[in-house]
Amino acid sequence: MTVEEREQRWAEAMRAERRGEAVAYERMLKEVATALRRSLAPRLVRVGFGAHETEDLVQEILIGLHGKRHTWDPARPFLPWLHTITRYKFIDFMRHRRGDTRRRVDLPLEDWVEIVESPAYEADCSAWEVDRHLAVLPVSQRRIVRAIAVEGASVRSIAQGLATSEGAVRVTLHRAISRLLRAADPTPTVEPLPRNAHDKHR
Amino acid sequence: MTSTDDLIRSLASAAGTRRSASLQAAFAVTGAASLACALLLVFSVIGIRQDFADMAVRMPFAFKVVYTGALVLGASVVALYAATPGASATALYALSPAVILLALGVIFDPTGFPIMGRTNTAFVFCLRDILFLSLPAMILTFVFMRKGAPTQPLFAGAVIGMLSASVGALAFTLACKNDSTAFVAIWYAAACAIMAAIGAIVGHRVLRW
Repeated sequence: MTVEEREQRWAEAMRAERRGEAVAYERMLKEVATALRRSLAPRLVRVGFGAHETEDLVQEILIGLHGKRHTWDPARPFLPWLHTITRYKFIDFMRHRRGDTRRRVDLPLEDWVEIVESPAYEADCSAWEVDRHLAVLPVSQRRIVRAIAVEGASVRSIAQGLATSEGAVRVTLHRAISRLLRAADPTPTVEPLPRNAHDKHR
Repeated sequence: MTSTDDLIRSLASAAGTRRSASLQAAFAVTGAASLACALLLVFSVIGIRQDFADMAVRMPFAFKVVYTGALVLGASVVALYAATPGASATALYALSPAVILLALGVIFDPTGFPIMGRTNTAFVFCLRDILFLSLPAMILTFVFMRKGAPTQPLFAGAVIGMLSASVGALAFTLACKNDSTAFVAIWYAAACAIMAAIGAIVGHRVLRW
């Protein structure tokens, strides 16, 4: 379907909707949904969203189209109208999701410390053990994790010490923690045995 | 996938339930009601100028009416543009007559009256009264705009503020005691700017859909 054909087809369906022809309107909504899905999915994938979010956004746009369909003037082209609504809903969607992600990730500092100082690791909290665990981290992350989790410094004082922002310190801490978890995760069956045996010997 | 199909089916079942071409009609009703409210407030609260009959036939009053009328018309066109997705941005040129009148009023002020008004604090009362008169228009236009589809809430809010201040200023011409065209051009525009700022803040929060 070329752009002109699509314009004519959908504009005609929108006019049909005003006459109460539900069938034509439903077919157009389906075509719009397919077209939106096809064009939005790659954009959303690029910013880290999947098929589920694409479908959410497509539904948002369809609801917007339906709720504001009286603002389309039949004397004017339909596609620019649809594009403006799509763009508005896309921006709105991204802003909401970004806010959601931040709320999920941005735990208070105490929670992060708790994650690091999980009771299961109490046994090997000796300085040497901590150093061994932190060895998987690059130097910059290691310095921040040790300062916060071991020495109990505040994010602000670290940020001042390193002459960066608090946000940057938080991001580094978050990265370091996920790296630590990843390093701890794949070897739960192999690692604990020798470590426990070692502890018994002490 | 299936949930989208369900959604489409339920949306399609509402075909033909919304009256078309309602936007301009709703806007006309909103504008008329706004002006009526503002005029009512001028007569009941502020009171028209005592020498009204004498003033009404002179040039300064004509300038006030033409200037505020141009503001109302221009802001109306832009407000409809802000409420309609995919509308042509040439609507913004509708404000140019008001801008030209503003410039003419400031540069070629034939009255010789002081720019700050009859007293040094006259502009404060002028601003206060215009802002007061524009409040009903502000509320009504926001109600209208929520029926439309503003895709730039900040901009739409600012236009609403400007339009309602223009309506307030148009009504205020009946009461305004300052005849300097420079005074009128500058301080009426200042009222528009203040209301536009307020409208932008409100619109940013209220006009999302």
